Parts: sequence; C-alpha cells; structure tokens
Amino acid sequence: MTAVYVYGIAPAAEPTNVEAPGVGEEHGGVRRIVHRELAALVSDVDEGPLVAARGLRAHWRVLEEAVATATVLPVRFGTVMESDDAVVEQFLAPRHDRLVALLAELSGKVQLSVKAFYDEEQLLRGVLESSPAVAKMRERVMGRPKAATYYDRIQLGEAVAGEVERARERDSAMMLGRLEPLAVAARLEPPGTPDAAVNAAFLVQRSRVDEFSEAVGRLGDEVQDRMRIRYLGPLPPYSFTEEQEAVGAWA
Amino acid sequence: MAVATAGGGGYAARPSPSGLADVIDIILDKGLVIDAYVRVSLIGIEILTIDARIVIASVDTYLRFAEAVNRLDLQQADQSQGLPELMESITQGGAKSKSKGAIEGAKEKLGIGGDDDEDQEKSESRRRSSSQRSRSRKSDDE
Repeated sequence: MTAVYVYGIAPAAEPTNVEAPGVGEEHGGVRRIVHRELAALVSDVDEGPLVAARGLRAHWRVLEEAVATATVLPVRFGTVMESDDAVVEQFLAPRHDRLVALLAELSGKVQLSVKAFYDEEQLLRGVLESSPAVAKMRERVMGRPKAATYYDRIQLGEAVAGEVERARERDSAMMLGRLEPLAVAARLEPPGTPDAAVNAAFLVQRSRVDEFSEAVGRLGDEVQDRMRIRYLGPLPPYSFTEEQEAVGAWA
Repeated sequence: MAVATAGGGGYAARPSPSGLADVIDIILDKGLVIDAYVRVSLIGIEILTIDARIVIASVDTYLRFAEAVNRLDLQQADQSQGLPELMESITQGGAKSKSKGAIEGAKEKLGIGGDDDEDQEKSESRRRSSSQRSRSRKSDDE
C-alpha cells in the first residue's frame, strides 16, 4: 500500500521544478495534485514509518527547490494522506479560498531568519558583574559540598536563567527595532538552545532583500563582540503560515 | 552609498543557504496542519523530540547554569569551561564538541549534520502519538 506524502501548497499558476527525489524515492519523485488555483506538492510513499533523518532531509530539499520558483506554503513535516482524492477532498477543496488568499498575501515575499547566539562565558561573566544578587548567591554555594547546597544552587541557576532571559528580551527588542521597519512582518521564535540570544523571522519583499541584508550586516558588526549572528534564507514562509485562519493579521 | 559586501563581522552580509541543521526546529514545529491527516510515524524521531527541545526552565538547566557560573573563576586555570560545557552535558554524550548545543547533539545522533544519509535504523520505532491519527485510517492497532 502506498500513501501520499504532502510537502506544501503552491499556486497552480506558478511552476515548480523539483528534481529532489522526495521522501518516497522509489516511487517516482515529486508530483503535483492540482485543484482549481492550488497545487499540492506530493510524492508517493510506502505506508509505515519513515527514518527521521533521511525523511527530514528529503522533505527539506523538496521545499527548498520549490521555493526557488514559487510561493509555497509548507505543510507540517510527516503529513501523509490516503490518496490523491483525499488530498483534494480533505485539504485543498475545503480550504481553497483561505489558502489562495494566504498565498496571495505571501506572494513576492520571502522569509529571512536572523538568529543570534551569545558568547556564553562572556554572557555569564556579564551576569555576575551586573547582578549583585547573583554574585551573592554564587558566593553562598562556592566551595561547599553539592549535597548541602542543592536548593541554593537551583536558586542561583534560576537567577542566572532569569538574567539571561532579560538579556534575550533586550537584544530581541533591539534587533526587532532595527530590522522590523524593513520587513512586511516579523515574528520572534523561541530561543531553542541555551546560548541563543535572538531567534527572529522576517517576511521581506524580494525587492528589499538586499537592503535588509545590509541592515543585518551592520547590526552584526555592531554586536560582534557579544553575539554571533546566523542569517538564513530565503526560507519557505514557515513563521507566517500558521494562522491561516487569520489571513492578513500580521500585515 | 556603500554596498555591503560579505563578511564585515565574520559572516556574510547576505542570507546563507540553510543547511538542515539550521532549520530543523522549524521543520519539526511549523507548517500547515491538515485537519484529517496521518502523521507518518518516524524511526528515530523520539530521540530528536527529546533532545532537541531542551526545556530551558527546568531544574536540570538551573543546576547546570549554577555549575557554569561557579566555574567562572577558574578561568586562569581552564579557559574552556562554562556554558559550552554546560550544553555538552545537557546533550549527554551526543555531542563530540564542546561548542555543540542541544540541537546539535540531537542532530549528531540522527546523522543529520553529516553528508551521509545513514540513519539510526536500529532506534526504537515506537509509533508516534495517535492523537491526531486520521479517522480514515486503520485504527485497529491500538
């Protein structure tokens, strides 16, 4: 038995040339299921489990190639439907107008992501210097046996985590303040790793990407003694497709 | 007007093509959800979901933060300690390098960082939560 793996949705009018084999490579690659103005990018897969690493990579390659030529709404990784008919009847048809409207809103725009990471040791040193309370708690546990200071250490760690969180908030606000004016929309995402400072996604007009990139470059120069920036894109508009009910809410 | 060229701050002033490593969090968390769909089950995904989502506000994290801060005064003796090591200990053996974060560790376990497609086929293959299993699919296995 095979099933239909769904990668994303593009306007039927925009071509997608995906050569990547897709998740179920033995079944003939990525094809389109067209319903009125929408095209679902799909491939046939065997029923049964996917191997996570291979599946993730295959999934991503398909989307990467698709966004090169089309506006693509990414579908959640690992989504499989029973048949082509199910894709049309349970997905494309009932949500046709909303998806068309969302694609229209996203047309001509790309997602760019800016991730900043702290130099960890420097960050913690800064926390110690700027927070007498943390320094005091640290003194209380230094040189004492671990068993005797369990709760003190939790308290210390929690205080440090709080300071790190405040630093994240400050730096996120600073970066949004600088970059948001050049974007159509911006979203802050969760930090993800303990050293993450800022994780922000921006929806940017293709015509303003260069301008945006220059701003990211200047910002990176300014903060380089404290943070390292990863600037990624263009990505499928992952951060701007979640609330398909509320089309335009972020505009 | 000056045109930004690559690399003022040690990185290119243009977006870099993203490796899977950079985007694994959004791939797993985001994207349109189809009402009546089957989430395919994945071999190896459990490792990823556990390790890639380190809960930042947890007692373990607090204790490790405390440890990292306590080590700071050892800097003359050993410059390499601090949060990188903290992160290494969070990944618990997944990471080879001190600079690897939690997600890096998970990626290494899954082999995502490398060039190779070989995966952990031997990993547990427990089926994913069935909470969103389609009504239209066979449901006799539970």
